[in-house]
Amino acid sequence: MRSVQVFLLLVLAMCFAVSDLFAADNYQLLRSSPAGYAPVVPGKNIQFPRDHLPHSAFKIEWWYLTANLTDDSGGEYGVHWTLFRQSMSPDEPGDSWSNNQIWMAHAAISTPEGHLYEERFARGGIGQAGVQVNPEGAFSGWLDNWSLVGHSSAPVPGVLTFTVQDKRIELNLNAVTPWVLQGENGFSQKSEKGQASYYYSQPHISVVGSLIDAGSEIKLDGKAWLDREWSSQPLASDQPGWDWLSVHLDDGQALMVYRLRQVNGKHWYSGTLVSANGVSESLSAVDMIFKPIQQASVKIGGSAARNLPLHWQLELPGRGKQWIIKAPRPDHWLNTTFPYWEGPVKVIDAESGLSVGDGYLELTGY
Amino acid sequence: MMFPETLRQLTWVLLTLLSHYRRHPGQSAFMAIGLLTGVALWSSVQLINDHAKASYGEADQLLGAESAYWIRNPDGGGIPVEEYISLRLQGFAQVYPVVESRVLTTSGEVIPIIAVDLLALPPAAYGSGGMANSPLAGDSWLPFIQPGYQSWYSAELAERLNILPGDEVVLSNGRKMPPALIQSRSQQGFRAFMDIGAAFSVLAEENLSYLAVTALDDTTRAKLESTLPPNLRLVKNRQVLDLTQLTESLHTHLAAMGLLSFAVGLFIVFNAVRFSLLSRQGTFNTLREMGASVQVIGAAIILETIGWSLIGTVGGLMSGYVLSGVLLPTVAGTLQSLYGAIVESDIELGLNQMLLAWLMTLLGLVLALAGPLWHRLRMNVIEGRSGSLMWQQDERARMVMMWSSLPLFALALACFYRIETVVDGFVVLTLILFAAALVLPVSIQFVNSMVLNRLSRRNWKLRWAASDAFAQLPQLRVALMALLLTLTANIGVTTLVNSFRDALSNWLEIRLSADIYIQRTVGNIDTLAVTDGSEWRIASHQRTGVSTRWRGRPAIVQGVDVSAPDIVDMQLPEQLSDASAPWASLSVDPQPILANEQVKHLGQVALGETVRLESAGQQYSYVIVGFFHDYGTPYYRFYLPSDVVKQRWQNVRSEGLALWVAPGMLEMAEQTLIEKGIDPGEWIRQADIKRVSLEIFDRTFQITAALNSLTLVVAGVALLAALLAVHQQRLPEYAHWYSLGVTFQEWFKLVAFPLLLMVMVTGLLAIPLGWVLSWMLVYKLNVVAFGWTMPLVWSWMPVMQLAMVTVMVVISALAIVALQVRRRLPVALKQLGGMGL
Repeated sequence: MRSVQVFLLLVLAMCFAVSDLFAADNYQLLRSSPAGYAPVVPGKNIQFPRDHLPHSAFKIEWWYLTANLTDDSGGEYGVHWTLFRQSMSPDEPGDSWSNNQIWMAHAAISTPEGHLYEERFARGGIGQAGVQVNPEGAFSGWLDNWSLVGHSSAPVPGVLTFTVQDKRIELNLNAVTPWVLQGENGFSQKSEKGQASYYYSQPHISVVGSLIDAGSEIKLDGKAWLDREWSSQPLASDQPGWDWLSVHLDDGQALMVYRLRQVNGKHWYSGTLVSANGVSESLSAVDMIFKPIQQASVKIGGSAARNLPLHWQLELPGRGKQWIIKAPRPDHWLNTTFPYWEGPVKVIDAESGLSVGDGYLELTGY
Repeated sequence: MMFPETLRQLTWVLLTLLSHYRRHPGQSAFMAIGLLTGVALWSSVQLINDHAKASYGEADQLLGAESAYWIRNPDGGGIPVEEYISLRLQGFAQVYPVVESRVLTTSGEVIPIIAVDLLALPPAAYGSGGMANSPLAGDSWLPFIQPGYQSWYSAELAERLNILPGDEVVLSNGRKMPPALIQSRSQQGFRAFMDIGAAFSVLAEENLSYLAVTALDDTTRAKLESTLPPNLRLVKNRQVLDLTQLTESLHTHLAAMGLLSFAVGLFIVFNAVRFSLLSRQGTFNTLREMGASVQVIGAAIILETIGWSLIGTVGGLMSGYVLSGVLLPTVAGTLQSLYGAIVESDIELGLNQMLLAWLMTLLGLVLALAGPLWHRLRMNVIEGRSGSLMWQQDERARMVMMWSSLPLFALALACFYRIETVVDGFVVLTLILFAAALVLPVSIQFVNSMVLNRLSRRNWKLRWAASDAFAQLPQLRVALMALLLTLTANIGVTTLVNSFRDALSNWLEIRLSADIYIQRTVGNIDTLAVTDGSEWRIASHQRTGVSTRWRGRPAIVQGVDVSAPDIVDMQLPEQLSDASAPWASLSVDPQPILANEQVKHLGQVALGETVRLESAGQQYSYVIVGFFHDYGTPYYRFYLPSDVVKQRWQNVRSEGLALWVAPGMLEMAEQTLIEKGIDPGEWIRQADIKRVSLEIFDRTFQITAALNSLTLVVAGVALLAALLAVHQQRLPEYAHWYSLGVTFQEWFKLVAFPLLLMVMVTGLLAIPLGWVLSWMLVYKLNVVAFGWTMPLVWSWMPVMQLAMVTVMVVISALAIVALQVRRRLPVALKQLGGMGL
């Protein structure tokens, strides 16, 4: 009898622990009820330039760019810049200070010397942040002096400018291949329970630009990936987070895979393989093996550390492809409001052991 | 081998000494009360002072965010949101917007408001929890920044304004504050906190009050300065330094009152010690006769002293902490209204304060307990057994006290002519008060002897009663001295406060002669200033001003219209005979200037001397032709004709507009203002501004009143303790009287008459002393501390009230004692019988 009591107490304690974990988790926002907001449904016709602009009827949205760059001497750099939009209520946005849109931006630079990042917030309606087509007819997304300004009504081709601490990044982005609609014509399902987002990308962005540090300029070039996604509830209640990977292979192909982790272990897998000329092919759980093979201890602020999967196995069995994904710089934890790991990775051919590409890995909910 | 034996002996001696307190729990109680009240009152003031001073250190913080600089619009018109956004878009993320204002409720209460954009605060503002505390963490902040909004009030402010959670306070401009939430952010102080969107809607305002800026490196600062539009200025936030300097005097005042309470508390301890000494006389002798060495008894006394000091410190600090929480809102209110200092409501008890309190207590106890005990101990055994020696000693002590008061008086007189700082002033006051207290026993003896001589021999009962005073005096004199100090402080401080209130009220009457005052933030104030032929308008006065620094302190130069009624009627306490004529002229060099009294008393400048003020990088000389009263401001203030100010300074701001309205046409005038697009709430009527000013004044002096009453209570307790002691000790004597046929009523008259006589002498002595104290406070300390002068207004009313309270305290104490004696007399009689056998 006594052992039953102890067992019950333990179960109860664990329940509380789990619920506490989720309650204290800022990602709860992504799981919260979408009631009142526009639903994400299959069959929507994604149109440009309309869908480059904000969708305030949906709860959350982002413009997300990652880039793997090198300097003249072969030094490797990573750049990651995102602009998030969130609706505080399903109502119309409203004017000026009563506007219900909140903007958040993250910028990070990975250099051979280290990792720098910054987080900023702004409210909508007062001109401090937003995404719009400016009077000159160009796409413009900005928060303070961080901006992505297109040459036309699309964000790419365009110019990305931002500062992190005393470093300034200025990148010219160019792409000739079409936008890639992820999932089913841009409808990207996230769980069996129906959570989904609208999702499209530009995987083939060529980048030329510079990092200006204390007056000296470092020329950079390389490749970037831009993601556009909006939803009213991208995560299911039993999904603590996701692991997302985008890579540029040396043969010109681009590949994106992710898994949304389920507490029951039956993770949700999805991906897209894009040819050099922009032809895409969706990948589902049966098409891939995407699993961590090694954990590394990563400092997450102060003296705290966390074990994170920075070493992955990625296989596309149907295509006879097998890679190892490795993060050469583990110290890329962003201790922001929504804390996560995001950094450059190397793609290594599992057979030859040679490096065959670069990419970006994102780990959330750890 | 010796050590354990000595330790054993020490333990027994200590236990023997302490057993006294077990046998006389009343004694222990008074000892504890004396220590506790003294330490509690002192430490509460100390805690408040420390807490306030620590808050000034945070004056470069704004709601938890760093605010090393401000960007202001010197013309007072605020900053358009577009100009702020433009700075952010240029990369100055160190800049964040603030709206600060005051609103008037329909019930006439003023609520200061502070509003920011939570999302724009620099990351450091999120506190030690890092980004986990950022605005986007969790969703509890959502209602705060969304229409509907919330007003956050600290618990203290909510209590003062009588606001409950969810209340929407209605304002005089007809608008409502967002629903109340009783919670606060760091550095919110006694202000309502809300989102900028909410503040704009409450204030019907579109411009930000100023921008706060975090610390900047030289390059960024230069870049920011060059980026600012011409109407904006980057100003260094010097509040940390300024507040510390400006509030110094106020804190010295408070500290002095705290120390007075501590001293009064120690008087109780003195009494308790004297009684415990007398009671333990036999014990000491027995211990000595049994072979306990002076060293061992001395060590036991030290241990006893430390024990008491710990009890006093722990209990006193605990009570002091509670008391400081009760008193803080009034002090914080004062600091906010007088100096703009934001003091938070959570007081922390630090290790330093605990140690300081313990040291103070120990020091006090060593004075009160260890000294006399040691003295007794050193008497030889036979002396110790002699009772009559005590009487002789007391008479000798009275004379010693009287003579020792003379050097104190002399020292006070010598120091009087050298008073330069507040601390000097308090030293002189302390010397006078203690010297007077030392004279008290002799004065009582003198009056008593006089009464005794005047009474005929047939009136033996009264003669007996008068003689009984000499039996009570040795025990009561310390308590009476404490009472004298308290009454004197009470009369002195009350007179100061009344004089100040009187002066302030008269001054407001003259200074605020206009009927309507329009806030300086009103945009189209220039158009209102122009006489438009309205029949209700008699006159108007548009003031302008610039903030500058003079002699290292903040100073305000105001441009005034020399023909405006309030300037024409201004009463100058000091002026050159032909002041008004040259002052109004612009062609005289050096330009005449009027200065507030603070310039004279704190800046040490005399009439006719010149002051140099910097404007646009140039130093100009001005000759002071008059001083004006400027109560309640800690700043230096100068008046110059508006044209001069406009000519010489660049960033002149509007200081609002005063309108004089024809009798009976106030409502018509207000209607015109509304028609001109000014919201009710953007102006304030003369009666309201006067009432609010006096309310702020009263709130300011609440702490004084509170400390006054508390000290009186402590003095009452001291008297009660002393009375209980004296009558407990004299019980065998009363038993003798009783056996001789003296009835209880007769006994009561016998002991009450001399007591009342002694209290009366004390009270009468307190009146001239109180006058001296108030004179010192009004004409010396106040001037040195704040730079304000005022006439001393003596009133008998508070003296009479105090006399009534004192009589009631004495009668209550006497009643308690009478009941005690009546209860214990049978036992004493029995003991008397036993002794006879």
